[in-house]
Formats: sequence, C-alpha cells, structure tokens
Amino acid sequence: MKLAGLKSVDNAHEESIWAVTWVPATDARPALLLTGSLDETVKLWRPDELVLEGTNTGHCLGVVSVAAHPSGVIAASASLDSFVRVFDVDTNATIATLEAPPSEVWQMQFDPKVRKDNIPARTLIALKSPNRCQASDISLASSVISIHTSLLRKTEFLPYRTDYLKHPGIILAVAGGGSASVKLWDTATWQQIATLSVPRPEGSKPSDKSGSSKFVLSVAWSPDGRRLACGSMDGTISIFDVSRAKFLHHLEGHFMPVRSLAYSPVDTRVLFSASDDAHVHMYDAEGKSLIGAMSGHASWVLSVDVSPDGAALATGSSDRTVRLWDLSMRAAVQTMSNHTDQVWGVAFRPPGGTGVRAGRLVSVSDDKGISLYDYSGM
Amino acid sequence: MACVYIPVQNSEEEVRVALDQLPRDASDILDILKAEQAPLDLWLIIAREYFKQGKIEQFRQILEEGSSPEIDEYYADVRYERIAILNALGAYYSYLGKIETKQREKEDHFILATQYYNKASRIDMHEPSTWVGKGQLLLAKGDVEQASAAFKIVLDGDRDNVPALLGQGCVQFNRGRYSDSLELYKFDVAIMNFGKRALQVYPNSPGAVRLGLGLCRYKLGQFEKARQAFQRVLQASESIDPENVEALVALGIMDLQTNEAAGIQKGMEEMQRAFEIYPYCAMALNYLANHFFFTGQHFLVEQLTETALAVTNHGPTKSHSYYNLARSYHSKGDYEKAGLYYMASVKESNKPREFVLPYYGLGQVQLKLGDFRSSLSNFEKVLEVYPENCESLKAVGHIYVQLGQTEKALELLRKATKIDPRDAQAFLELGELLILSDAGAALDAFKTARGLLKRGGEEVPIELLNNIGVLHFERGEFELAEQTFKEALGDGIWLAFMDGKIEFSAIDSSVSTRQYKDIELFQRLEEDGVSMELPWDKVTTVFNHARLLEQLHDTEKASILYRLILFKYPDYIDAYLRLAAIAKERNNIQLSIELIGDALKVNDKCPNALSMLGNLELKSDDWVKAKDTFRAAREATDGKDSYATLSLGNWNYFAAVRSEKRGPKLEATHLEKAKELYTKVLVQRPANLYAANGAGVVLAEKGHFDVSKDIFTQVQEAASGSIFVQMPDVWINLAHVYFAQGHFALAYQNCLRKFFYNTDTQVLLYLARTHYEAEQWQDCKKTLLRAIHLVPSNYTLRFDAGVAMQKFSASTLQKAKRTADEVRSTVAELKNAVRVFSQLSAASSHHFHGFDEKKIETHVGYCKHLLDAAKVHCEAAEREEQQNRQRLEVARQVTLAEEARRKAEEQRKFQLERRKQEDEVKKMMQQEEHFERIKEQWKSSTPAPKRKDRSQIEQEEGGHSEKRRKGGKRRKKDKSPRPHYDSEEAEADMMDNHEEMEDEDANMMNDQDTNQMNDQDDDGADNAQDLLAAAGLEDSDAEDDVDAPMSAVNRRRRAWSESDEDEPSERQPGSSLNRENSAELPESDGEVREESD
Repeated sequence: MKLAGLKSVDNAHEESIWAVTWVPATDARPALLLTGSLDETVKLWRPDELVLEGTNTGHCLGVVSVAAHPSGVIAASASLDSFVRVFDVDTNATIATLEAPPSEVWQMQFDPKVRKDNIPARTLIALKSPNRCQASDISLASSVISIHTSLLRKTEFLPYRTDYLKHPGIILAVAGGGSASVKLWDTATWQQIATLSVPRPEGSKPSDKSGSSKFVLSVAWSPDGRRLACGSMDGTISIFDVSRAKFLHHLEGHFMPVRSLAYSPVDTRVLFSASDDAHVHMYDAEGKSLIGAMSGHASWVLSVDVSPDGAALATGSSDRTVRLWDLSMRAAVQTMSNHTDQVWGVAFRPPGGTGVRAGRLVSVSDDKGISLYDYSGM
Repeated sequence: MACVYIPVQNSEEEVRVALDQLPRDASDILDILKAEQAPLDLWLIIAREYFKQGKIEQFRQILEEGSSPEIDEYYADVRYERIAILNALGAYYSYLGKIETKQREKEDHFILATQYYNKASRIDMHEPSTWVGKGQLLLAKGDVEQASAAFKIVLDGDRDNVPALLGQGCVQFNRGRYSDSLELYKFDVAIMNFGKRALQVYPNSPGAVRLGLGLCRYKLGQFEKARQAFQRVLQASESIDPENVEALVALGIMDLQTNEAAGIQKGMEEMQRAFEIYPYCAMALNYLANHFFFTGQHFLVEQLTETALAVTNHGPTKSHSYYNLARSYHSKGDYEKAGLYYMASVKESNKPREFVLPYYGLGQVQLKLGDFRSSLSNFEKVLEVYPENCESLKAVGHIYVQLGQTEKALELLRKATKIDPRDAQAFLELGELLILSDAGAALDAFKTARGLLKRGGEEVPIELLNNIGVLHFERGEFELAEQTFKEALGDGIWLAFMDGKIEFSAIDSSVSTRQYKDIELFQRLEEDGVSMELPWDKVTTVFNHARLLEQLHDTEKASILYRLILFKYPDYIDAYLRLAAIAKERNNIQLSIELIGDALKVNDKCPNALSMLGNLELKSDDWVKAKDTFRAAREATDGKDSYATLSLGNWNYFAAVRSEKRGPKLEATHLEKAKELYTKVLVQRPANLYAANGAGVVLAEKGHFDVSKDIFTQVQEAASGSIFVQMPDVWINLAHVYFAQGHFALAYQNCLRKFFYNTDTQVLLYLARTHYEAEQWQDCKKTLLRAIHLVPSNYTLRFDAGVAMQKFSASTLQKAKRTADEVRSTVAELKNAVRVFSQLSAASSHHFHGFDEKKIETHVGYCKHLLDAAKVHCEAAEREEQQNRQRLEVARQVTLAEEARRKAEEQRKFQLERRKQEDEVKKMMQQEEHFERIKEQWKSSTPAPKRKDRSQIEQEEGGHSEKRRKGGKRRKKDKSPRPHYDSEEAEADMMDNHEEMEDEDANMMNDQDTNQMNDQDDDGADNAQDLLAAAGLEDSDAEDDVDAPMSAVNRRRRAWSESDEDEPSERQPGSSLNRENSAELPESDGEVREESD
C-alpha cells in the first residue's frame, strides 16, 4: 500500500485548519472536501485539483469540527462558541443552528458512514426543521423526500430502531465536551433526542475534579450504526448501545486525551483510537479488549481514519507527519512529512460516486495547508 | 676387567688388585700400598678408580694419604706423581666449591683447593697441569681474568695443551657474555678456534669440548652446527659420558625453540631424560617447569621450580625459576604470591635488559592489585628494553587512564596503534579511551578494530559492536546504530519481536492498562515451544536496541524487548526503569509507580529508581513523600548523584514559591536552600546544565536579571548540541527574563516550535500574555483559541479569551477615530465575549473551574453594557460616515462647479468655500463633543499603568495580605481545572498566582479607584447616573484587567517580576529525561570497560 502526493494547497485558509471531512458524491457532483479553520470559515473544495468551491462564514471563534451527511446533501460545522451550523452543501443555506448549553461542541458525526451504493436511490433525508430557511427549501425540494418523521416522533426513546438501518443519516452525534456526554440530534426535526452520558468512575464524588477529565472530545459510529464510541480527555473510551441509549463499557489503555476515533468499515467490532500518548490503539470494542498498540509518532496523534478497504490506517500527528499503517503488519509503512505544523485531520474518501474508484486521502494542518494523496491498497 | 699390580717389595711378586673389586675399606689398599711402597702412580690410579665408582670418601682418603708429609719425604724425588695427586685433590675441591651452594662451605672448599695447587706449584712451579688446575679454580671462583692469565702461561709453553685450550675457551665464553655483540662474535670465533684446535690435537677429547663448541655455534646463530655438536657430545661420549646433562639440556632447548609440536615434544623428552639422569640441573628444571606451566600442571611447576631454586645459585637461572613460580601463581589468580615471586625474580636478575618478562608479569600483577605507580614503573622498564612493545604500551596507556592522565594514555595508545596498525585490541582500547572525550574519534577507532577483526576472520565481539552502536546512537545516526545492534545481536527470539512477527493475542482492556508489566506473553510463547533464549552477553545490546526503538518512538517494540529482558533476568533494574519511564510518558502514573516499586524490590537503594519515584510523587502531588524519596536517593549515593540533589533543589524552589502562607521569610529560606543545593551540584559538576539553570532561576527570582540572563544564555548554548539534552526550560526562562526586562520576546514562539511540536499550552499562554501586553488583542485571542483547541477542558483559557475580546472591544471604542466597520466588529466581538462568559457561568454549575460565578456575571454585565453603548457608537459612527460621504459629495460638486468658472472668480470663491467648510467642521466639532462625553465613560477603563510598575508594587507588597481570606477561598476552587492537564504539577503555581492575583487585585483596585476619582472630577456632574453605573462596572473592569493577566492569562504575573516560577516544573521532565538516558548508557560503557580488563 502506498500514498502518493497529488496536490497541496498552501494557505488554503488564513489560519490553522482544524477539521476536514469528505462530502459524499451526489448524482450531480463528485465528492467534495469540507475544511474548517481557526479563521472562522468553512471552505468547500473540489478534488483532485482542490479548486475552492465556496467559503462559508458566520462562525465565531475557530471551527473545530465538520461533518457531512452520508447523502452528501447537507453538512454541519461546529465552532469554539459551541454552535453547530447545519447547512446545505450546494447552496450554503443554513438549515439549522444547534446548541445544547452549557455543553460545548467538539467532534460530530452523522450516523453510519454506510456505503453509498447500499442506500436506496433517492431515499435521502427528511428535512422538516422549522429552522430551515427558505433558500434551502427550494433547493432541496426536488432531491429530498420526506419520510418517517411521524415514526420518529411517535416513540420517545427508541425512535429510529426500525428505520435507521435502512436510512442512514438520521442522527447527528455530537461530542459534548465538558458535559461528559454525547448529544444525539434528529436530523429531521433538529431536535435533541438523546444524551449519552459517560458515567463517572465509581466512588468518585460528583464534586471532585473529574468533570473536566471526562470531557468528551471525539465520537465515532460503528458502521452498522448500532454502537457509538466516544473518547475523553482522561483517555477513556466509552461504548454505547445506540438503540437503547445505554452505556455499555469503557475501553481502557490510554491515559491522555483521545482526540479521534474510527471504526473499521469492514469489521464493526474493531475500533481505532488516537491519543496524545503518541499511540494508536486497536480495540475489539465489543469484546472490550485491546488487540494491539501501534507506536511511532513522536507526539500527539490527533486524527485517525481507516481506509475504505479496511486494510490501512492513516494518522495525523503533532509531529507534523501523516503516517500510513498496514494493519496486517500493524506497522507504519509510510510517513509523509509535507506539512510544517501539526496535522489536525486526515480522512479517506468514502467509496462511491460517479466512476471514481481511486482511493484518496486528505490531510489538513496548522500550517494552513491541505494535502491530497492518492491511496492505493496494492 | 682391568687390574693393577702392586709389586711386592724386595721380591719379584706382585699383588694383583682387580679395579672393580676394590675393597670397601680404603685402609686395606692403603696398608698394601704403604707396606709395599708402591709407586705413586698406582695410588693415583686406584684413587681415580674409586672416584669413578662414586666412592668419593675412599678417593679422598687415598689421595690425602698420598699427599701426606711422610710420602713427600719418602718419595721426595718422584715429583710428577706427587704433583698429580695434589692437582687431583685441588680439582676435587674446586669442583666441590663450584657445586656447593652454601657460601661458607664454598669458600672453604676453594681455600683447600688453593692450598693443594699451591703445594703442587711449590714442587714444580712450571708444571702445566697445575696451572690448568689453577685456571679452573679461578674460573670456578668467577675470576675470569686471572684464570685467563693462568691458561696463558700454559699455552705460552705448549700452544697445543688441550686442557689449557679448553680453559681459555671457557674464559672467552664467559667474557663474551659481558661484551657487546660484535666483540661477542669475535670471542666466539676465538673460542671456536680454541675448541677446534683442541679437537685437532685430541680428536677423542671429552664431550665438554664439543659441548663448548656447540654453545659457541649456538651463540653465533649457527643452530644446525650447534645441534650437530651437541648430538656428537652424546654419541661420542657414549663410552665416557653418555649422559651429558648439559648437552641434553642444550638440545632440548633447541628443540623447544623450534616452536613446532614435534620439536617441543622431542625437546621435552630430552629435558626429561636430563632430569632423570641428573635431577638437580636447574636449567632443565626450569624448562620442565615452563612446559608444565603451559600444560597447566601447576603443582609440578611449583615442585620443579622449588627444586631448581634449591640447587642453583646462578642469578639468572634463579630469576627464571622465580618467574616460573610467579607465573604459575599469577595464572591461578593468587596475585599476592605471584607479585612476591615476580619481585624475587626481578631482584635476582635485576637487569631488565637480560630478562624482561618478570617485569612485565610484575607490572600486570600490580595493575591487577591496583598499585598503579609501581606497575607503571615496571611496564616502563619493559618499554625501555622494547620501546615498541604494543602490549606494554597498551598496559601503560591503561594505567594512565586509571591515573586520570588521559592525554598521556591517548598518546601511548595512539603510538601502539601506529606501531601495529593491525592490532585490533589496541584500537579497541583507544576507542574506549576516546568515548568520553571524542566520540567521533572513538567511533573511528572502534570501526577500525571491527574491520581488522573481520579481515582477520575473527568473530567481532558483541561488546565492540554494542559500543559502535551506542556511539552511532549518541551521534543521532539511528539507522547505523540499528544496523550495528542487529549485527551484534544476530539471530534470536528478539528478531521476531522486532520484526513484529509474533502476534500477540488480544488482552482485556482493563488489563491492558498494566500491559508494561505483562510478561506472561513470553510464558505463553515458551509453552507453545518458542525458544526464549537470551544469552547474558546480549542483554546489554538488547537493552540498547530497545532504547533506540524508544528514541525512534517505536515504544511498543521497545517495551516488549524490555519485558523480554525482565522475563529472563528479573534483576535488570534499568529495564524496569525504562518501562516506568514509558508508562510515565503515557501518563500511566499508577503503573509507573508500580514498576519503580519492582525495581526497588531488586535494589531498594538504587538512586535512579528513587529519583524517578520522587519525580512521580511530585507529579501526583505528593510533596512530603517526594522530598523523603529524593533525600533517600541522595543518601544512597552519598550525595554524589547530582540528580537527587538537584531534585531537592527544585523541591525547595517549589516550596519557596508555593508555600501556603507565603511568608517572605519562609520563602527566602527555601530559596536560599535551593540555591545552596544548586551550588553544591555545580561545585561537583561544573558543567551541570540543570543546576546552572536552577541557579539562574533563583537569581532571577531575586531580581538579578542580568546575571540570570547570562547564565541562561550560556546554558542554552551548551544545551544545543546533544540529542540527549533537551532543555526547553532554559529557552522559556530566557524569554521570561527578557520579558521581565520589558522586551516583548518572541522567544516563546521559537521555543514552542522547537520543543513541544506546538502542543504546550503553557507556552502558548506565555505567548498570549506577550500579545496582551503589547495590546495586540486579536493575536492574543487567536493564541488563546489555539490553546483552547489543544486543551478544551481548560476553562481558564476560555475566560482569558473572553477577557481578551472584552479588552479588544473596549480599546476600539476608546479610539478617537474608528470606522463603522470597526465598531461593528467590536459589537460582534462583544457578543462573543458575552457568550463565552455566560457559557462559563452556565458550566460552572457542572464543574469547578475556579471562577467566582459573580465575577463572571459582572463580566457578562459589563460586556452587555458595552454592547449597549457600542450600539450608540455604532449608530453614531454610521451617521458620521453618512455625513462624511455627503460632505464629500458636496465638495466634489463644488469643485466641479468651480472648475467651470475657475478662471473668473477662482480666488474669491475658493475663500468662500473655505469658510463654508470651516462651518461644517465646527458643526462636526459640536457633534464630536457630544460623543466625547459618552466616551468619557470609557476613559476610566484606560489601560492600566504599565504592568511592570504594577508588578513592582505588587512585589513590594508581596507580604501584605489584607485580602488573604478571600484568596484562600478561591484558591481551593482554582485547583480543579488545570491539574489534569498541566504538564507538571502546576497546581502550586496556580495557587501562588491566585494568591498573588488577590494581592494585585487589591492594589489594582486602589489604583483604579484613584483613576476613577480623577475621571470623575474631570467629568463633572453631568450625566451622574450613567457615571455611577459606569463606575460600578469600571470597577469590575479594573478587576478584570488585572485578573485577566493573572488568573487568566495564566497568572504568569511573576513572569516579569519574579520571573519563572514554573520553569522548575518544566525543567523536571527535561532533567529526568537526561537522567534516564544516562542510566543506561554508562551501563553499556561499563560493560565494555570490564571486558577490556
């Protein structure tokens, strides 16, 4: 397996770039890149040439996280002021502004990143939000079919059980920072439907200082959408059963912040975690066991993503490098050092789209640059 | 059988005496001889026969009777026979004297011999045989010159006198010894000539002649001829002297010197024969002993040499014997005895030029016993004789190393390598010597040694490869180091681990927190039949390789190797320590402490383990324990270990700046103690960077910025150059000092990039602080946002960011001129600030992050108030802009009109226009005035007086503590937000800061109040209501002003005045790093050094 640099854009933002994600392809366009930066903007890029498609403003303070809906139609961005802005990718129309005070907002992810070819054609999301503005109404009207909103509203607690497997993207999971919880938002009504709280360690008084240690930084959905994992400042990872909104167990091993989590797309049990302790751990999230630990980065590992074929891992680190790991060997096979500052985000392009077979990896960094690589699994 | 016939007196008859049937009692024969008045030659024949049969007593009896005065009288005219008898007796006593070992008896014999010869001379002083006898006697006494004269007298008379010729040859031979080689040659030729002439004259001469000839040939290097001569001695003398010991020994020596197995075998057989024939030949004994030394039969060696010593008096031979004995003890390891015998050997010969080996041996033994001076002098004696002897050069070099005279040692070893550029051992030693002084040269030397060994087809010792690897490692050449280590380790189980070939089964995640203690996996593998062989000589290299992997951030593999070492060698403390360090690095403090505990179980006095434990205890905020541990560590090394002392210094420094009551006295005591400890370390190790840094900190703390700046600069220079010394602290300290002196330092930024991969929020905070001081609000805010992004759970940072935004807004609104855009962005910023503050206040119900809710409320209120005011500003600004635009439009039209009729009334109209404009301006002024009044409200929030001054005040009032109570309360709360994240135990600083903040609050408030008073005075009574409101808020603003920098902007208030209270905390990871490194590197060196002995 190998990475080959395709294109780099220096000064893609005016300030550090902190977040990146792929917006899946729609019928009308290929997959796009979404980046968020300290300069308070979110930018949209068209690969492979990394042409700037649009700049979204409106956030105050830095943009810490971006997430794209599996349909590729909508996306969300979150900033340090704890607002989540949900917008239409193509028109930049604001669909909703989410806020769950006093909880902060860190990483977000729409529920399962299911392969797009599994999704029935044109079965996209329902957008009935009252917050939704006119512009997006018009643009989305043709491409969006409303479904199952009634179902969602009927039951309080298990609203999505029957449906969410068929129709991904019903839930947006948001890491809730100091609230030590993950907030789940219904993407139809843009109402908060559940709070998954990380239990405090036994024996600790609510008054002790663990509040900030359980600060939740990262979230990841298992590919089947049944499980949700979140990582905390103190290094613990919590696994939740989504359908029952129930905490299952902790995964231990890290003692420093876990800033990024990723499930393997081919094995729903396997979870990868990136931590400030410079290690990447590979867990059996169901069996509650540590399968392996991978070391090699010289500083914090800030971001982790698994290749669509499930054979490789990409990590971005404070040591300014991007590493590619061969999971069969559990060893780093390639180190890219084209960035000149911390690499805050790495992301493989999800499969699908019009005739695009080639693998792509993107990385963004404090050096204000974006780099795009060709990934070949062979 | 031969008979003699004694004629019976006065008759024809004879008495027949069979020579082999001589009566036991010589008196019988004597009676016959006397009675029959037998001729004297018969006496002599019979006496000689007795002698031949070994019946010395009878021989002597007959001869003594035969030389008695009565015989003299009776046979007065028989001169020759009488002389012969006397000479025989003289020769007999000469021989006795020659072989006698006791000095007194020896003398007696010689005196007797002399008497007989003198008697013989009196009968006929020209008799040649008497002269020959005298010559022999003189030779035996060692009086070579006189002997020569005696022989000369004979030879002058008869130049073919065989015994004289031989005697003279002997003289020359003995003389030859003391002459230089040329003369020796001449003499030898002379001897040869004598010998040859003797043979020509008397071809059947006794073996002695051929023996002498052989010896001469030997001396001349004609070994073949010498050998023939010796062999002929044995053959020719078969009838006479078939067992000539000297010839046998000589042949034996020659055979031994062929240095071939067969030769040696033969030589030994000859020696053995010689020994059987005559067990008291010291030479043969020595050679036999020599042989048995090499075959390792030490008991025989001792027996033989002791006999040899007993039978000989000959200095050099004795010297040899002692040498053999010493060597035997030496090889048995009994250095005391060996030394004594070497000494005896040296004393016997006393001439290094002749027999240098005992000096060498003695040198070795003394070296072993640690008597370097004596050893040195002995080796130097060896070098006098053989100035190019590599072994001795190396030995002397080694001694100089021990004596600390590295320069001399280097010189010698360099010489040794120059003399023999193929001596791998010399290069090895040279390399070891250079390790400390010149790693590069050491590496070269080691590489040469490796090359030589490889070329020689020898196996390269693992220690050498290990050292090469370590040197590469130290030079940062990691790939080469890895190659070398791999070469050193060869094949083994470790390869499988290093290549990741062995898959480990998953472990339960709750157990995984203890993974660095898990060695069960090896047991499992062993049960599965995987061999876990780890030879002891490879442990060090495995350890070093693990260290290398760690350096390359391959921590997992490193930990497996460390655990493998522990699995096989559970007493390997360094492996525990490294595992503990890895665990600590990953913030698994509990595990780290456990691992240290394991190490302490092996050796509870291990200073490294104790130091690290102390460090961990500090990290988990266990101050009292930490101090005890550091003390124990210091005691464990008798105070020689700088690290423990240094840690105690740090401890005291912390105590000075953190102590609860903050008594200036206590603080001073602690500082003084810290300084004392740092100084102590510096006295021991003047090059200790950490101690120098510490001293700098204390000095800065006391306000001696210039001195501390110098120190920091030097430390910084010294620290940049080794991969193992990473001292970000000194950069920060330097920046602090510059900052304290009023230079806004960007050094922080460099430091951040250089050392922390931009991940250290503390330094980011310093940076934000500089921006804050420089009133670069936006930069300040951005820096803080970065910090928040790094440590989102640190709410203090959010507060700081809020304050920065608030300051930004306030300062914009105070500007005399501002655009509507500016005001608009101010409004936006204010909204952000409000949001940040309200979030904080909301969050405070969930967490304790050390803020007074009321205070946040005040901030929120103030910002909202500003917001309202800003709206007015905004409108005003917009209006103003509008008007400006209109005015510009009018002006433009006017100019256009003017253009049209410019020619006509140019000048006058222009004047008019001017006036018109002035009117406009006046109007504007009025408006401005109106706004001015509003603005006055903000004036009171004018940026406070320069920080520096204030800190000055603050310092002065460091002791006074009106607001202490409140401070205390807040302090407690303050604890919560940071400790988790702060890289070190920053809590202490936090508290201090807080406290300080309180003080400053107080001061500041006073300050501010007076300001406000002034403002109020200026302002007049106009708008009293507003003012009051403003004043209240101003008050809060004032507090914020101060608070921001302190509580918030990391309370690094001290950075400027007292400088760097948190450096020590940062210094610790640094210094501990160093410590840990040094823990194992000397390790490997140590091993090699041992090897070289």
